Amino acid sequence: MSILAYNGGAMVAMKGENCVAIAADRRFGIQAQTVATNFEKVFEMGPHLFVGLPGLATDTQTVMEKLRFRKNLYELKENRRISPKVFAAMISNMLYEKRFGPFFVEPVVAGLMPGTFEPYICNMDLIGCINQPTDFVVGGTASAQLYGMCEALWEPNLGPDDLFETISQALMNAFDRDAISGWGATVYIIEKDKVTVKNLKTRMD
Amino acid sequence: MFLTRSEYDRGVNTFSPEGRLFQVEYAIEAIKLGSTAIGICTSEGVVLAVEKRITSPLMEPTTIEKIVEVDKHIGCAVSGLMADSRTMIDRARIECQNHWFVYNENISIESCAQGVSNLAIQFGDSDDDGAAMSRPFGVAILFAGIDEKGPQLYHMDPSGTFVQFDAKAIGSGSEGAQQSLQEVYHRSMTLEEATTAALTILKQVMEEKLNSANVEVMTMTPKDFFHMFTKDQVEESLKGMEKIEPEHQRSSLESGYKKSPSIM
Amino acid sequence: MMMQTEMNAYYPDYSTAPIQRQINPYADNGGSVVAIAGNDFVVVGADTRLSSGFSIYTRNQNKLFPMSDTTVLGCAGCWCDTLTLTRILKSRMQMYQQEHNKQMSTTACAQMLSTMLYYKRFFPYYISNILVGLDNEGKGCVYSYDPIGHCEKATYRAGGSAGALLQPLLDNQIGQKNLVKPSSEDLSQEKALAILKDVFIAAAERDIYTGDSVLINIITKDGTKVETFELRKD
Repeated sequence: MSILAYNGGAMVAMKGENCVAIAADRRFGIQAQTVATNFEKVFEMGPHLFVGLPGLATDTQTVMEKLRFRKNLYELKENRRISPKVFAAMISNMLYEKRFGPFFVEPVVAGLMPGTFEPYICNMDLIGCINQPTDFVVGGTASAQLYGMCEALWEPNLGPDDLFETISQALMNAFDRDAISGWGATVYIIEKDKVTVKNLKTRMD
Repeated sequence: MFLTRSEYDRGVNTFSPEGRLFQVEYAIEAIKLGSTAIGICTSEGVVLAVEKRITSPLMEPTTIEKIVEVDKHIGCAVSGLMADSRTMIDRARIECQNHWFVYNENISIESCAQGVSNLAIQFGDSDDDGAAMSRPFGVAILFAGIDEKGPQLYHMDPSGTFVQFDAKAIGSGSEGAQQSLQEVYHRSMTLEEATTAALTILKQVMEEKLNSANVEVMTMTPKDFFHMFTKDQVEESLKGMEKIEPEHQRSSLESGYKKSPSIM
Repeated sequence: MMMQTEMNAYYPDYSTAPIQRQINPYADNGGSVVAIAGNDFVVVGADTRLSSGFSIYTRNQNKLFPMSDTTVLGCAGCWCDTLTLTRILKSRMQMYQQEHNKQMSTTACAQMLSTMLYYKRFFPYYISNILVGLDNEGKGCVYSYDPIGHCEKATYRAGGSAGALLQPLLDNQIGQKNLVKPSSEDLSQEKALAILKDVFIAAAERDIYTGDSVLINIITKDGTKVETFELRKD
């Protein structure tokens, strides 16, 4: 079994009309054994910037700390907020530094570009190859299921409420068919003037 | 060189010049020495009734088992060589379970009979270890069952030939019993009427006086499937029979065959 | 002095050890099957792409096999195993008909397929099978299998290369999973057909082994109707 599937987890981000959403499950397990159901995989990196780090849980936390460190340094040096695009480039660069001994995470970035508030999403593999599609990105052990769900449910120009419903349905139904993700979910809806966090009640088996 | 037919009645693999297989014919004769068994098929279900020959007061009557359950939906009455019948019943049970295992459905009565027939005609064959079945089975069987076509009764003889019947008698009293069945049987018979008729006829052809120890009765219905009568139920049926038909004089039809202890 | 094994590493031609060769008896030819059952019908669809790795053998391969008037088998996986299995199945269907004087029911066929697959427990047919049909009451039913004969009865199922993508979608759209107010209406044939087409469009988008077109069988008491539906071909 791949190290990426040691702890399990599902992650998805979607673009909407002037908003983006990122959602993840809350399970932390060791292979088949569920250890905790309040594990956060999505982290706030700025007022309109979130990063999700599905994969090996220890690397989720290490990479998050390292990214926070580099982001703070950037913001102090530059004296301005980091944009999602730059942040993604920074993650990619950091992951590639460990090209032959990688961190086992597949990051997902979701946010609004500073100034324009244009929605931005991307994901990358564990060595930092960036993928920037126009619709949605997925990651984690339920990625196949998420691709199927998103491909059918997602449509362009969804408002924040519709986007919430779409991403929630996509995530829940996907991880219900994955034995090592689920056990609750967190959804972030990022708009120009507010960020809404919702914890979903899901089946716990 | 063809002197008498006895030249041809030894091997089971050899036809006589007239095209007969004597061993099979002798086996068909042999089943006429067995105890009488009667089966009647009605629209409500099938009833089987058999005589048990209690040849000694020291015998334990319940150990003589002539009606057996083959599957929930199939029961058999046997007459003739009991030891042979065990082998055939074993095969019938295997056929039923195998069909259920492969198809997850109850085997039809006809297919079950076909399976046993395939075994019955294997005499003379030798299998992988070279052992051959030296003679035909000396057994007649009545198959009573319920399948998707409803209640059914089949009869099979030692040649493996099997035919569906509305009512059939086998064993030593079969000739007379068959005659009586033909007289009493009608399509709109209830199961209770059939049970009474079967017992009445059995009584006519039996040497011993009919009682709850020397008869076995089984009904096969769509609701309860295989149901063997308890001693009390048999006694009740016997009482019911006497009410309808007060003490008949013993029929003169009964056979005068000498009984070999293995044929019951 | 050079050790024997060390020398062999440099001069494999002079090795005295027996050369071991292995062949892989299986191929994955891809393909997806989706089946949805209703109260008095069942629809089953399979894509028509037959592929091996990155190359496409044909864009027009039927993967649905009628077993009787009311039973159809959908297969995805190793195509040579599919051909063998379906031929044996068809002959078993005919033998049953002749032995028992009746056509095999969908439930009987489902059980038989399970035992046939398990019979090859240690050299399995590498196929995702989905058997659909009408049961003895005329109700639609779906049976799905793993390659060694595990059988599960369901009302809807996705199998094959895009099975993982499509199953949660069916859970949501047909099983009404995770919905606040699930509708109590019976599934209509039109809705089932529309969902079937939609899920294949989604699969063709992300699964390279699924595409070209979908062949659909609609089984009702009046018989089997065949339909086709185009998918993306890249």
